[in-house]
Amino acid sequence: MRSEGATLIGGAGGFWGDQVFAPIDLLVGADLDYLTMDYLAEVTMSILAKQMARDPQKGWATDLLDWLRAGGISLLHEKKTRLVTNAGGANPHACAEAVLALACEIGWVDCRIAMVSGDDVLPLIDDVLGGGKAVEHLDSGESLFNVRSDIVSANAYLGAGAIAHALERGADIVITGRVADASLIVGSMLHSEGWATKSIDEGKPVFSLVEEWAPGDIENPLDVLAGWTLAGHLIECGAQVTGGNSSDWEVIPNLADVGYPIAEISRNGDSIITKLEGTGGSVSRRTVAEQMLYEIGDPTSYMTPDVVVDLSNTKLSKAGKDRIKVSGTKGRAAPQTLKVSSNYRDGWFAAGDLVIPGPDAKGRAEKTDLILRERLSDLEGIEIFTEFFGAGASLPMGLQHLATDPSEIIIRWAAKSNMRSEIIEFSRSIAPLVLTGPAGVAGYSARGRPREQLRFFPFLLQRELVEPRIQITMMQTLRLRLKEMDPRIDGVLTRIQKMADGEPEGLWRRRVARRVLRRLDRPLVKN
Amino acid sequence: MGVIRTQLSTIAHGRSGDKGDLVNIGLIAHRMEWFPFLEKCVTAEWVKEIFADMVTGEVEIHPVPGIGGLNCIMKGALQGGGTIALRKDAQGKMMGQVILQAEIELDEEEAKKQGVPIPS
Repeated sequence: MRSEGATLIGGAGGFWGDQVFAPIDLLVGADLDYLTMDYLAEVTMSILAKQMARDPQKGWATDLLDWLRAGGISLLHEKKTRLVTNAGGANPHACAEAVLALACEIGWVDCRIAMVSGDDVLPLIDDVLGGGKAVEHLDSGESLFNVRSDIVSANAYLGAGAIAHALERGADIVITGRVADASLIVGSMLHSEGWATKSIDEGKPVFSLVEEWAPGDIENPLDVLAGWTLAGHLIECGAQVTGGNSSDWEVIPNLADVGYPIAEISRNGDSIITKLEGTGGSVSRRTVAEQMLYEIGDPTSYMTPDVVVDLSNTKLSKAGKDRIKVSGTKGRAAPQTLKVSSNYRDGWFAAGDLVIPGPDAKGRAEKTDLILRERLSDLEGIEIFTEFFGAGASLPMGLQHLATDPSEIIIRWAAKSNMRSEIIEFSRSIAPLVLTGPAGVAGYSARGRPREQLRFFPFLLQRELVEPRIQITMMQTLRLRLKEMDPRIDGVLTRIQKMADGEPEGLWRRRVARRVLRRLDRPLVKN
Repeated sequence: MGVIRTQLSTIAHGRSGDKGDLVNIGLIAHRMEWFPFLEKCVTAEWVKEIFADMVTGEVEIHPVPGIGGLNCIMKGALQGGGTIALRKDAQGKMMGQVILQAEIELDEEEAKKQGVPIPS
């Protein structure tokens, strides 16, 4: 059923914590050209930056190893599918080392891994602010200067160019830090359709405008980029385009075994969104339309580092069972700025809940809430937010009339304060309500631990500040490097392998040979 | 001939998500012919009134005519943002399904002509 000439790209995960076996299913069931995995939400980079500060081997999405270990690495090797992922987070180097070690374990000793970095702009911030430039919150206009000392991380959303060049340099696996989600797919397409080759032939730098890389026969490169970006946007959230989180949940078949999405992307920017055959879920105009509008701003100007996408006249049409054709997307040149995602420390948080029975569950719940608030009334810096689930907590003011009288309620409290001690007091005060509140209060679980809050602060930086920092680093084994330098090394290595296997015999010889071989499979980095 | 009252879900389906302190609700008409109804019913004022206590900022409505949809952007919808919101639904994922329960008014004659199911 594959559309002719199209590049097949799988979207095997919507976030860090998505179903771990999804990429394995996609690799087994389809012959993909690229498998893409998005692991980074807005707050993830800050969590990873904190992890890395504590342990230099951490700071990346370790879920990646779970499925690679469970056969994923062998499948990538056998099927020659290239993996493109932002699992590198704050530490692509440590991530790449772990992945290369796995590759060597299965004998894939000539595996090439590319790391894309340069997204970390924290070191730039003081220069920019010091130079007297105002840096403002993208939405609220607040000055970055006010929160500078509490900033944990700041990462620019990089575009597709570096991914494309990394693939062009022969990477089997590309591991990036903060890259715009859809750029994982656009980068793969730039490689697949020869745009990257052309840019390298012409000596264009990795951060030059990708629309200038288009081969001569492409009439409207920006529209093509926009189409590829939309295809990326559609599959980057995994099963959300194949029947998950759909308004049609009642009729979508077999969500238990929901298939993950595959985009068949064409040279001209059109694509077909489909899913693995024989799986649950569904791909319809309805599921695709819902995902198309998911987490976007102005639909005439969906901003990415590669292109500004106009979805106004995008058409979705049926092209077979579980196949939707996406066409008509328009593009404009990307702005001179890149979006930066940063987070700053903003106090402490904890939450807790209890279950309240009827009759008059609402009355009991309100009383319980009142008692808790009275007991904590001497805490001056705390803000407590209460929700009565079952009694209309999801309903805003204008729909409160839809709330019904429930037979029981889950009462849920969340609190924040700049003082950790106040949050501890709050957490401690919930369990006692079971014995000291209205009758029948139940369901206390473990005391909620105070969690440090990170507040999102998006802002824009001029491209020319960020882009020269973009770096592609290749990681491979020493064995492969030696082979690249002189292919005759193969003969030598065969002899050493024989010695390691005990031919000719000799304990000392065998030990030295094995030692040499082990060193050959250590990671070697080159720029 | 007068007006009929029905739920928004009669004419549209949707999904919501977050970006910083913003929540967007994508709404799509069940049929292309019903897109004008959707545009007429879902105005910034109407959405703002429904979410008056949850949304502190502006509401913007952007048409997406190619798919017969609207993108409804609500600013200041997450108590400062998804990472610090005290609400259990800190990413606004419920809001799309919630608004589909809101009551809308349609011109009876037009609705009948376009085959909108009329509640009895």
